[in-house]
Amino acid sequence: MSETMYATALKTALFEIKNVCPDVNHAFILMENGTVVAADDQPLDPSLEKAVGSIQDLAEKSASIGGLGEFVIDAEKGKVYVSQVNGMYSILALSKRVDLPFLRTITNIVLPTVLKVLHGIDNPETSISTPLKSAPIVPFSVLKQASSEPQVNEEEIEESFEKPEKLEKDDEIEKPESVEDLKIETETKKADEAEETETETPEVAELPSQQLIVDKFGGLMVRSDTVQVDFEILDRWASTLNVEEIREVDVETFRGKTTRCKAKVINDEKLQGRGIIRIPEKACDALELKRGELVRVKPVIAEE
Amino acid sequence: MPVKKKIPQIEATEQVEWAPRHEVKEHAADMRTTLDRMKTREGVIGYILRASTSATVDIKDPSKIIEYAVLSTSALESAESVLEAFEMGKMGSVVVEGKDLKVLLLTTDEHRISVFMEKNVDHNAIYKELTH
Repeated sequence: MSETMYATALKTALFEIKNVCPDVNHAFILMENGTVVAADDQPLDPSLEKAVGSIQDLAEKSASIGGLGEFVIDAEKGKVYVSQVNGMYSILALSKRVDLPFLRTITNIVLPTVLKVLHGIDNPETSISTPLKSAPIVPFSVLKQASSEPQVNEEEIEESFEKPEKLEKDDEIEKPESVEDLKIETETKKADEAEETETETPEVAELPSQQLIVDKFGGLMVRSDTVQVDFEILDRWASTLNVEEIREVDVETFRGKTTRCKAKVINDEKLQGRGIIRIPEKACDALELKRGELVRVKPVIAEE
Repeated sequence: MPVKKKIPQIEATEQVEWAPRHEVKEHAADMRTTLDRMKTREGVIGYILRASTSATVDIKDPSKIIEYAVLSTSALESAESVLEAFEMGKMGSVVVEGKDLKVLLLTTDEHRISVFMEKNVDHNAIYKELTH
């Protein structure tokens, strides 16, 4: 893939970050080869070029602390956040009131994902390892069976080798089975069993899920068991699962805490389409969640 | 016999008009005391305190002094040029975080301070202590 394509994709990513975080005033990416990609089409002025050069210099001299990961400057009129993403540096000039943890989460999701996709397109052989959909849940028993399969087969082979020796005198056995035959047999068995498991697993779980950014909300009339999700997401899940509407969702934190909540559409227009889930303060406390953190959200199909 | 209670006496020094002021020196000594106290905290590796003509370095691993000094200079220079480019005014604090360690840098009127620490140390608390 050409550098221009990379630059265009990164530029779009920066533009989207600016859309999500209005506190981002300027956004740049310093690529590995020293090229600077800006979110807007304005050319770099000399002072900015000097600044970018100084960041490159700092990155080289940061070996003593394990390389430059983050560089945060808190100044009189704003903040500057520089973070390393896959060997590149994102440089964001921010307003004073910026929510840095939220921005950090966004940047650390959007840019690596874009870079991963670009890398995947560039090198189709090393395709993206992360599944886009959540992996189907395979029951432990199936996993256990699958993992113990080769051992069983080996034992079978060994036993069948021993059998002819033990039953030498038995006239009914005309020919001992050859190793090749046995291998073919075990392979066909494996294939049959694999087919069986394949047919079983889709029924177990094929629920869609989505990672969303947490936004807290509270108030007197707020029900602590109801979360707000984008209409588009709920609608997409409803059509995927062939149900009228999604009434409940499972919210799972990355610390492993899960809760089931009623789902409603985000009522604040400004917050729609931003990939966030609005969770009541009480529920956030119960799940030990902070604003800006990521959660995995799955729809719950109502049992009729 | 009643025990006498010791009352700490504060020596009040009155500044006369004709005498030279010693505020800067006192401030430097205060800062060094604060930094020395901070160095005893768990996870704090050391500090570099620079004035216009002198510098105090206290780093647990002496073999790293030069590398850390170069890094702190480079970070402050970089921060200054970035702030100039974005026209963001006076520098408050700077944090450089690596894979293993992080550095808190700040400038006062007379000093440039760099505090090196483990990543789990709360640099905001250190910053507050140094500035208040």
